Amino acid sequence: MRVPIIGVGAVASVGRDADEIFANLCAGRGGLGPMRGFDGERYNGKQLFEIDDRPEPGADRPLRATEFLLDAVAQAAADAGLGDDLSGVPVLVGTGLRELRSAELWWRDGAPFGADRLHFGTALRERFGTADTLTVSNACSASLYTLALGADLLALGEADTVIVAGVDSITESMHGLADRVQPNPPTALRTLDVNRRGTILGDGAAAVVLRGEQVRWPGGRLWGKLRGVGMTCDAKHPTAPDPVQVAEAMRQAHRLAGTRPEDIDMVLLHGTGTPLNDLVEITAYGEVFGEAAGRPVLTGIKPMTGHTSGSAGLMSLVTTLQVMATGKVPPLVNLEQPIEEAAGLRLVRGQEAKHEVGLAQVHGFGFGGVNAVAIVEGS
Amino acid sequence: MMTVTGVGVALPGADSATALATASRPGDSVEPAAVLGKKGLRYKDRATQLGLCAAQRVLTDAGLLADGELTVDGTRTAVLVSSNLGNVDTVCRVVQTIADEGTHGVSPMDTPNASSNIIASEIAIRWGLKGPNLMLCNGPASGLDAIRWGTALLRSGRADHVVVVGVEPDNEIARRLVGGPLADGAAAVVLERAEAAEARGATVRAVIGAHTRGLDVAGTIAELAEVESEPAAWYAPAAAAPALSQGLPVHDLAAVWGELSGALGVVQCAAAVGALDAGADGPMWLVAGTDSDDGVATLVLRPPVPAGARPAAV
Repeated sequence: MRVPIIGVGAVASVGRDADEIFANLCAGRGGLGPMRGFDGERYNGKQLFEIDDRPEPGADRPLRATEFLLDAVAQAAADAGLGDDLSGVPVLVGTGLRELRSAELWWRDGAPFGADRLHFGTALRERFGTADTLTVSNACSASLYTLALGADLLALGEADTVIVAGVDSITESMHGLADRVQPNPPTALRTLDVNRRGTILGDGAAAVVLRGEQVRWPGGRLWGKLRGVGMTCDAKHPTAPDPVQVAEAMRQAHRLAGTRPEDIDMVLLHGTGTPLNDLVEITAYGEVFGEAAGRPVLTGIKPMTGHTSGSAGLMSLVTTLQVMATGKVPPLVNLEQPIEEAAGLRLVRGQEAKHEVGLAQVHGFGFGGVNAVAIVEGS
Repeated sequence: MMTVTGVGVALPGADSATALATASRPGDSVEPAAVLGKKGLRYKDRATQLGLCAAQRVLTDAGLLADGELTVDGTRTAVLVSSNLGNVDTVCRVVQTIADEGTHGVSPMDTPNASSNIIASEIAIRWGLKGPNLMLCNGPASGLDAIRWGTALLRSGRADHVVVVGVEPDNEIARRLVGGPLADGAAAVVLERAEAAEARGATVRAVIGAHTRGLDVAGTIAELAEVESEPAAWYAPAAAAPALSQGLPVHDLAAVWGELSGALGVVQCAAAVGALDAGADGPMWLVAGTDSDDGVATLVLRPPVPAGARPAAV
């Protein structure tokens, strides 16, 4: 499978579009800051990777996730030359937290909100005239799951063009439940570092436009081609990841793509910075790649974007496409002392690296043991 | 050819496709401990418990579970769950507790339930279902969307067996959000290719026909009529009725069970199979979503094809 990716869009704490995000990632500039929408007095961890669009500090408003999503989808559609009428285009949205932040504000503060806005179809229809939308709430691998569904839809001939997106705005319940068990919360997100102390959440949305392989289209940019997406479920524990099915998701992705680990030039890690995730991820990687483990460069964006949950996988994919286009690889900032299991691996550290990437592997793993791995090649 | 090979029902007073197809009002509420045993239920939210009940029944009914053991390859078994209100109560309760007492008032046991896909992942965990695991929270049409995407997983070769569950819990928070009581129940179906069903000797209960998704009821039904023969019965919300062909039975399941939200399409499937089991005429045309929603999904269920009537090679 070689599914053309013909448009990208993104918004995050580190930038309002895909280019600005990538420029900041390459410069090593992260988006961590004092929490703006929650009451900092209530939390040990008072820093988040938020998109700064609140009316005033400490005040919040509903439907921010919806706005991020519409922004990213509009960017991707414009990039692909589709315009604002998406009536014939399925839009598949992966999210961890839907509009649950709005539900919180509705219940606690009486903010206006209805069940018709818990999912994103209502707003997508209003803005783009869409008839076929899907909100998949698959935790932190959600947008790579929808990437797989989108590619399948094209392969089955049910559509010529599909937009796949991911979005999340931080909920206070998710931050609060994590904060409850972190008396000494992380002050930085340190993927693969021996001193990593956990993840820090971020706002974000990302979108890509996929075209059917046989479909001809006038002009537009070819960012890259999706070769395959593996998806598995641990079926083991609601929150703790399991290396067996994480590794299987990687193998499955290669089987579907017709590629081998030794073909991979770069791995974009899930890299949440929690003690367990990073260990499981790098262990599974080592097992699958074996002697080829020292070949590709490894990096991740969460130390700068935060853990953007449902949008994280596609945010990593969009970053990967830009790496392929520019030959620049953003660094794993905050990584001072890599864990033993990562010894001998080509971790991109300190500053951006120059590296030609023709084939890359992108990871997304989530609560509930939902694992997804995408293989993408450059144009 | 995609088929339904099992039905599981956990609605108040209805524990089977037959009971669902003939029920005229809800009965006693579902007691998950009576279905699943008490072990391991303590910190699971109501939606997860109801989903587990329907899943256990559908796995058993389809013959995928025998004596507590899976009879098929768990890595080839996918789970799709549809629910809109599933964990909304947990999220709202936690944010209120933080406002009232600070984070020391919240329970870490709520952490898994703060993620909406907890229902789908708990079903996978309980029976070792390691295939694609998807939580759909897609509004009024979500249940039929789940059936459609379940068949897509089969067609694209990502799974050989797909467990589709629709569930909505009833609680004060969900009631306030949707403006009325919810069904507080779940239904489930197992989807398989006809060849896979035949290979393991499973009984085909219904054949899945075409599906459409569009902006309004009339348009999506017209699109369906281009490829499907006339319905013998409808399963549709009351608000969709004016657009349906007259003179046929219309089953408005929310009138019986209360708000079904994301569970509706799956409950419709389960009820339609129950009717087909009892010898009702098909095909059944299912409609979820109305003109005032973000989208309308349709799906056709046909009676199983008798063995002798099947073409030799398909």
